[in-house]
Amino acid sequence: MRETLSLMWFLVQLRVRTRLEYRAGLVVAWLAQAFGYTGVFASIWVIVARFEHIGGWTWPEVALLLGFHVLSYAIGASLTFVQLRNMEDQVRQGTFDVLLVRPINPWAYLCFSGINIEYGGHVALGLVLLAWSLPQLAIDWSWLTVLQLLLSFLSSAILTGAIITMVAATALILGRSRYLFGIYFSFWELARYPLPIFGAPLQALLLTVVPLGFMAYVPVAALLGKPVPFLGDYAGLGAILAGPLAALAAIWFWRFCLQRYQGAGG
Amino acid sequence: MFLAFAISAFRTRIAYRSQVWALLFGVALEIFARVSIWTAVYGGNSVINGVSLWQMVTYSVLAVALFSDWDSIELVRDVGASIRSGDIVNQLLKPYAYPASLFARTVGSKLSQVLLIGLPLIAVIAFAFGLVPPASLGHALFFALLCLVSAAMIMAVGIVFGLLSFWVLDAHALEWFMRGFVAFLSGGFVPLWFFPPALSQIVALLPFSWIAYHPMAVYLGQVDLAGAGLTLLGGLAWLAVMVGVIGWLWSRTTGRLVVQGG
Repeated sequence: MRETLSLMWFLVQLRVRTRLEYRAGLVVAWLAQAFGYTGVFASIWVIVARFEHIGGWTWPEVALLLGFHVLSYAIGASLTFVQLRNMEDQVRQGTFDVLLVRPINPWAYLCFSGINIEYGGHVALGLVLLAWSLPQLAIDWSWLTVLQLLLSFLSSAILTGAIITMVAATALILGRSRYLFGIYFSFWELARYPLPIFGAPLQALLLTVVPLGFMAYVPVAALLGKPVPFLGDYAGLGAILAGPLAALAAIWFWRFCLQRYQGAGG
Repeated sequence: MFLAFAISAFRTRIAYRSQVWALLFGVALEIFARVSIWTAVYGGNSVINGVSLWQMVTYSVLAVALFSDWDSIELVRDVGASIRSGDIVNQLLKPYAYPASLFARTVGSKLSQVLLIGLPLIAVIAFAFGLVPPASLGHALFFALLCLVSAAMIMAVGIVFGLLSFWVLDAHALEWFMRGFVAFLSGGFVPLWFFPPALSQIVALLPFSWIAYHPMAVYLGQVDLAGAGLTLLGGLAWLAVMVGVIGWLWSRTTGRLVVQGG
């Protein structure tokens, strides 16, 4: 176990060093991605500025929601998304088969050796939104709320990684996963908004089968003391448990797909 | 030859049916999200800024179904991948203007998206829930022409950003810059009449606003027919400028291309 962890750490260092060789390119990528998100967030700001709220949420509350969403996504996706989004290509070209004969967990190898530090723009934007919005909101701060915020943030990042892993794993048995990533991002965009603006069926869907409601809305609503549909007083606990539960499901599903993997070519 | 490029891009797009279904689902979900947002912010008000909720629903449905920037994003990615792999050399050896070939390919994929996803979704939603019709027959005609201007504009924007990747060698970053500009300045998500007035006046003059805002403003009758004519002329003028920019960029680009590897 210790050897595996040190190997993972070595792979991460290797990847980071490689990426830092092109520092100017990395900074431009950070700026560009932050700019791309800012375009969407500015549109949401225009709506909230004009109408004063969206689903009963004011701009500082929405800014916190957006900051939480982009920050937790960045942390979860840096460990998984770019590494796993081309899983169907790896299956088709046989490069995934090469990993199976190495004395290392293929998921861990893929994720750690390809850790993506291009999410710096996401992280900076998320931190700015959090730093701007949190002092403006009437949150009853205590050690418990700080702990709740940190744990639900960690849970959200794990949830992101878990769902991306499950989507990618489908390529092992179906040979395709890219279209599922498209569907994932369609739901992911909905997770930027307060859930009550959607109808009850979609709310239920986003809290169960596609649990992206736990990515930002549930933890932020619990922190702000806003009523959460279906979960009520259990929203805070749900936000903390969603990530670990999704991770368990992802581990099971990855193993399930791996056991049935037969390769896709010669 | 350019027709063959367009047909080839069209066929490529429809060959991957699972992708078409996923895109259809994604567009439908995006429409649903935007309709939910406008319904939530309108609350009990039936008309705001002279625009009814149902007009905003129509705006959202048409803007998402017809004026997406997805094909242009793909264009920037493809150009970036060609430069990175060195395949761009093969493109340059062929006896045609590269920017024109990019345009033809994007026409094919854009057409496939409109025919297979946009129009069917609009038809289903119009049949099931009803959409606000164009303000008049004249507005409908100007809207149809502005749809062509919109498609040409988003492709031109994509080609400009694609060609810029010859200079900065990082198409991924350019793609994100383009997404940011289009998301905010096209008015595809939030119409300019909800922007702060000073900002709205500036954004309305930029070429991005012909991608979604101006066609939809004409459709809903927010401008009279004379205004719609001027809007069309403005769009055509901007397209002429964009073509000039593309030509200038291309003439500068070919002179400085360095292919690494090969």
